[in-house]
Amino acid sequence: MTVIEGMMSGFLQSVSLTVLPYLVVGALFGLIIGVIPGLSGHFAMAMAVTFLYTMEPSAGIAFILGAHATVAQGGGLTAILFSTPGTGQNAATLLDGPPMRDKGEAGIAVGAAMASCFLGATFGAVVLGLLIPVLREVVLFFGPPEVFVLAFLALTFVAVLGKEDMTRSLIAALLGLLLAMIGVDNVTNTHRFTMGSDRLADGLSLVPVILGLFAVAEMIDLYRRGGALARYTPEALSAGDTQRQIFKGIGLAFKHWWLVMRCSAIGTTMGLIPGLGSAPAAFVAYGHAKQTSKTKETFGQGNVEGVIAPEASNDAVEGGALASTIAFGIPGSSSMAILLSGLFILGLETGPRMLNDNVDIIFIMIFTIILGNLIGTIVGMFLVNPLSRATSIRAEIMVPVLMAVIVTGAFAGNASVFDIGVAIFFGIFGYLMKILNYSRAALLIGFVLGFAVEKNLYLALLLDGPYFVFQPIPLVLMTITAIFLIANVWSIYRDRRRKV
Amino acid sequence: MRRTFLKGLAASVVAGASLSAGSMAFAQDAAAFYKDNVIKWIVPYKPGGGYDEYSRLLAPYMEKYTGARVDIVNMPGSGGMKGAVEIFNSPADGLNIGIINGSAMVTNELAEIEGANYKVADYNYLGRIVADARVMVVAANSGIDSYEDLMSDGETAVIGATGLGGSTYVDAVIVGDVFGMDQNVVHGFNSSGDIRTAMLRGDVDGMWGSLGSAMKGIESGDHQVILHGEREATGVLEGIPSVFDIAAQSDDPAGNAKILTSWEGLSAVGRPVAAPPGVPADRLAFLRDAFAKAINDPELVAKAEESGRDLSFADGARTGEIAKAATDLDDATRKLFVAAIRGEL
Repeated sequence: MTVIEGMMSGFLQSVSLTVLPYLVVGALFGLIIGVIPGLSGHFAMAMAVTFLYTMEPSAGIAFILGAHATVAQGGGLTAILFSTPGTGQNAATLLDGPPMRDKGEAGIAVGAAMASCFLGATFGAVVLGLLIPVLREVVLFFGPPEVFVLAFLALTFVAVLGKEDMTRSLIAALLGLLLAMIGVDNVTNTHRFTMGSDRLADGLSLVPVILGLFAVAEMIDLYRRGGALARYTPEALSAGDTQRQIFKGIGLAFKHWWLVMRCSAIGTTMGLIPGLGSAPAAFVAYGHAKQTSKTKETFGQGNVEGVIAPEASNDAVEGGALASTIAFGIPGSSSMAILLSGLFILGLETGPRMLNDNVDIIFIMIFTIILGNLIGTIVGMFLVNPLSRATSIRAEIMVPVLMAVIVTGAFAGNASVFDIGVAIFFGIFGYLMKILNYSRAALLIGFVLGFAVEKNLYLALLLDGPYFVFQPIPLVLMTITAIFLIANVWSIYRDRRRKV
Repeated sequence: MRRTFLKGLAASVVAGASLSAGSMAFAQDAAAFYKDNVIKWIVPYKPGGGYDEYSRLLAPYMEKYTGARVDIVNMPGSGGMKGAVEIFNSPADGLNIGIINGSAMVTNELAEIEGANYKVADYNYLGRIVADARVMVVAANSGIDSYEDLMSDGETAVIGATGLGGSTYVDAVIVGDVFGMDQNVVHGFNSSGDIRTAMLRGDVDGMWGSLGSAMKGIESGDHQVILHGEREATGVLEGIPSVFDIAAQSDDPAGNAKILTSWEGLSAVGRPVAAPPGVPADRLAFLRDAFAKAINDPELVAKAEESGRDLSFADGARTGEIAKAATDLDDATRKLFVAAIRGEL
């Protein structure tokens, strides 16, 4: 089967009546899972897999991948409207989404987020399609030295993330790195910072940490402050106004098409790299958008570019993440591991056989991502209106309701009561960081990347010795990192001099 | 303890010959107990992995033959130990069972790793679902073509492994130690998938793993098996030397064979379904019988084949013996294994 034939056949199957209904159901399911804080794409897929035993392969793929593809969209909705990331991928959206809501521009933010998600996902899927002939080579491009340097590069983006000052951001990022070290070290079997606790031996899970840092902290803030979530808009927007805002937001996403393209490229590239995940991709995209924006100073105060960038990149990750799964049958993330077991159940084989004989299946995946996100965008638009009304509800009612949802979400991932404690601990911690003006985003980035940085540094040292950074690709990436850092320090220095 | 064991043995013998009158009474009591009751089935890993998949594959058939509802509960943590401990300590009423990672639980117990608060030999086993054949694969582009190549090419082979004490690591160091292989075991990879990528990139030359997960690479020609731990080579392993063949021709055939037999015991425990110690004999016999019927149900066998999942059933009593043998080692072998698991070899 040639690639063109596969594409035609994949498209026709995706829109056929035997597949499309499953895709729609999957996409709606994913959207709802995404909206609920704490439940992630991983969770959506794990639930969907149990339905696969009786399905046809093409319908089954559309179903599970559809459920995974729309999760970030649903999560963006919650992030903007309730200051609570629906999934880890949406943590970066919190930097500019909620400030827009506070300005009474919730509709614009959601419209822009939804449209960026769709565009980003489409970008990632198209890139995956274009890479099919060279997919194996592309995936093998990234070894431990390359991943280490890239993770390190991503880490340096914390410097530009927030409105907080750089020293505090660095402190937060390093603290995040330390938090990532908690647990049994994979290499030496040493217990680090576990204080004798069995629970801590597995390390901290990402979901309760994110929920605590951002969601619980916001709830504490809201409760202390009183009033409603949407701070400066006591009256809920009318349905008509919201609708107009959404269309305006969609228009803005298309207007910033070049930013969308660049951030999607960041997302897809980071998706290709095993073990990095989509949360850092969104932060790096945000940092990039801020760096290149003409209105840098309004980032963090409700700049629509700060919503477009992370949302475009966190959905573009999908196309990249699929690459190593398809090319070798080697999953790059826990979600992809579930997808792989789903493909097993459906009787499909990945690797060269899929690339040669089942190209149509790959294109069903590609079209599922595109169509799933399109469905997510359309349905999401209808969800905005009722959900945005809730943002005008008084804190005394809103906080307990949202806290119940957050606690449930923290528990659900691992069915662990301990994780609820983690969420509450990081809630108080996050609240203190917020009032003391430390960047929570920087802490999260350090936490998420800490594991990848350490593991790949160790492997790179063992495999290639201490001079691995002088290999061509790591050297180029290291140079970019250095230039980036120097430019940043210079611009901060210059700004300070100007102010004085 | 001994009495319970004998009672259990007796019960399983009579249940096996289910025509005898006594067993009918036993079975009826137990059948009445399980009818419309709820069995909690613990999976010590997250949804989506092999353990989860096997469990979900089996659950409907366990329901069919027990008459009870089977609730699958995922309880990930401590590399599968959290769930295993949970099963070990759960009420011994015959309503709490689960799947465990046999070889990992054995190695953790031997090395007395923190959190290994269970005794593999003391579980009541319903039976074994599968035992994975262990194979050593090398990358097609590694320049190594066979076991002889590996031993005679004068170069240090780089072998990838996951964490200390993981089976990819223990296999590599034990077999390497027995045969005096010239190898450098690099551990710290996140998963066996990561090692396979590293092999494709040429970062490492080879790895140990289960035949099931190596199949894909073998079929696509990326990987090649050069050594395996089976006594009788079948299928793709035909014509490839077994560690036992090589031990027989070594300087110390008896000593090496002994260590390798203990090593074989690790993987032979495979993926068993276990109940806590002290389950009433009639219920255990009933569960063992139901498990045997479920796993041999033609419909399940067909489904397992379709989804590429191997089955190698061993009954409950036999699985118990295997588990006992795996943890019951003489001093010298135990010392070697503990050193291997702790990374001191």
